[in-house]
Amino acid sequence: MPHPRSVRRRARATALGAGALLLALAGCSAPASEPATAEARDWDDVLADAEGQTVRLWMYGGDDQGNAYVDDVLAPAAAELGVTLERVPIPDTGDAVNRVLSERQADVTDGEVDLVWINGENFATGQQAGAWLCGWTSMLPNMAYVDTDDPLLTSDFGLDVDGCEAPWHKAQFALVYDSARVEDPPGSVAELLTWIEEHPGRFSYPAPPDFTGSVFVRQVLYELAGGVEEVPLQFSQAAYEELAPELFTRLEQLEPSLWREGTSYPQDLGALDELYADGQVDFTMTYGPATLPDLVADGVFPTTTRVLLVEDGTIGNASFLAIPSTSGSRAGAMVVADLALSPEQQFQKARPEVWGQYTVLDPDRLPAEFRARFAELPQSEVLPPYAELSAGADPELAAEWVTALDEGWRRQIAAG
Amino acid sequence: MTPTRPGPRGRALLLVLPALVPVVAVVGAALVSAALLSLGLAPLVGEPGLSLDAYRAAAGDLGTGIGLSLGIAAASTGIAVVVGLCLALAATAAVRRSRLLGALAALTIPIPHLVGAAAIGLLLADAGFLARLLGVDPASWPPLVGGQLWVAVVAEYAWKESAFVALVVAGVLATRAASYGETAALLGAGRWARLRYVTLPLAAPALLSAAAVSFVYTLGSYEVAALLGRAYPEPLPVLAYRLFTSIDLAARPQAAAVALTTTALALLVVLAALRALRRLAAER
Repeated sequence: MPHPRSVRRRARATALGAGALLLALAGCSAPASEPATAEARDWDDVLADAEGQTVRLWMYGGDDQGNAYVDDVLAPAAAELGVTLERVPIPDTGDAVNRVLSERQADVTDGEVDLVWINGENFATGQQAGAWLCGWTSMLPNMAYVDTDDPLLTSDFGLDVDGCEAPWHKAQFALVYDSARVEDPPGSVAELLTWIEEHPGRFSYPAPPDFTGSVFVRQVLYELAGGVEEVPLQFSQAAYEELAPELFTRLEQLEPSLWREGTSYPQDLGALDELYADGQVDFTMTYGPATLPDLVADGVFPTTTRVLLVEDGTIGNASFLAIPSTSGSRAGAMVVADLALSPEQQFQKARPEVWGQYTVLDPDRLPAEFRARFAELPQSEVLPPYAELSAGADPELAAEWVTALDEGWRRQIAAG
Repeated sequence: MTPTRPGPRGRALLLVLPALVPVVAVVGAALVSAALLSLGLAPLVGEPGLSLDAYRAAAGDLGTGIGLSLGIAAASTGIAVVVGLCLALAATAAVRRSRLLGALAALTIPIPHLVGAAAIGLLLADAGFLARLLGVDPASWPPLVGGQLWVAVVAEYAWKESAFVALVVAGVLATRAASYGETAALLGAGRWARLRYVTLPLAAPALLSAAAVSFVYTLGSYEVAALLGRAYPEPLPVLAYRLFTSIDLAARPQAAAVALTTTALALLVVLAALRALRRLAAER
């Protein structure tokens, strides 16, 4: 038998070793929060560097058309430039951001993420921790077709884009209704609120922090504040305390007229779409109205589905491609981002049968050939063309507004 | 004994090692990093500094979350124990058809909770299968999915866990209940007396451990509550996940605080169950 004391000593040594191992595994240093800046280079130099690199594009994987576009259209074009493009499907863009943040904590320089399809909220999260590579978009030759003064593309949820992400497509918030059931479609957000009270139980919105439910709440905020110009886009506690109480009081008044008297809300946009498809509510909403014709053609939504045009305009934004500072294939990622911006790729992506995403390119800057091709894109009776839809588009609020409003909604509306 | 050959204790340690190393490395490292994060010692931005801010900031939601999670776990475990025990008794009864019943109950076990949740959702939703079958208008169907009483969530856990309880308890009863029961019957015990003094005491330890496992599982599981629950209040795992994926990096330490609280609660339940088991053994 071993001596009891030696057993105890060995046990103590094991415990110490295990503790040290745990600490080493956990690590506890905070990485710097300043963003990494790409060195200015000649584009041919970047192209030569990108040859043979593999770029992993992390993007939301729940959109079949988007997946097919990347696999069948974008990836082959990238292969011609010598870059292998791999699509990594994720359930939520936040997963990619979390991955990059963990890689930064672990000082990884050749991370798993080379390119992320992203927009405001997650961009702001990464920017807080300096997770994105900055100052590279001005190198892209195809940026010449982009209007550099377009507020939708220079600022993302109130945060300066600053060359830290390249635009990919535009989105426009839209309210959607069934014209067979709504005989008197409201013409503004104010009229919609009245309509809801006149037709109890026929409207609901996804519970924030669902992305779409959250933008609906902001749209109501703009309306109650008396227009978007009355809401400071940058967040301040004072502005929140001045504007939020009225918003939440109004939403509370609205509750008895909502689906199930507002005792519960659809958990996410998918749940609201289901209610709409089942005929339990007469309205749904979306950030990507271009996908509607497809949903109608597939029989998911009724053929009488229409987009509601509101006179005061709706919130519009853009989504982008960002390169994490932990990427080991920066040149390849830049080449793919540039390719995605090319008129040919933007046109293919805008075709409803391919993906139906609105282009970020400025028609006035395009070669005549592409201007004509974009103009000839087929139109659907479900929704008006983008120019009409985005007329008087409202800007997005800063990401801090989004968090504050979502939290306020949860505490006052969901809890109440 | 040569010094190079490990003694019985050493051999036991060696045998446990393959199970112990992954647990310490994976769970241990995860818990330590969660603890560091929740105490402000491993921030994603800024300087590390020891503080309880994350716990303080999450305190309100943490309170309602603890109550809700314990409520859901208690309700579903309670139902699962009663139903599972009945199933086990029926399956081990000396009737041939009972075997079939046991096999059918066991079929539930390999179904993943996620699939179970989706199925329960399709069954119980407002415009779900049951509502359509009974011809009830969605508006007058009770809010089982996403309602204030968490009926669908409890139903899913109770359904899945009752099969688990039945399997564990039936395993114990199958080997021992028959002979003890026959002896008791020979001594003149009636049906009720045999159940009360033979079968239930035999089943008790297995029943208690199965209940503890199912309670702790329900306490820490995310997907069912997220799929079939509502936006407010949130059970602990749902709360932790929302905070962890929040676009505000400052919420991440709060997520770790919620996760650690859940772990502590689960640990307390396991310790209480172990104590109760020891007391049961001492009573024999």
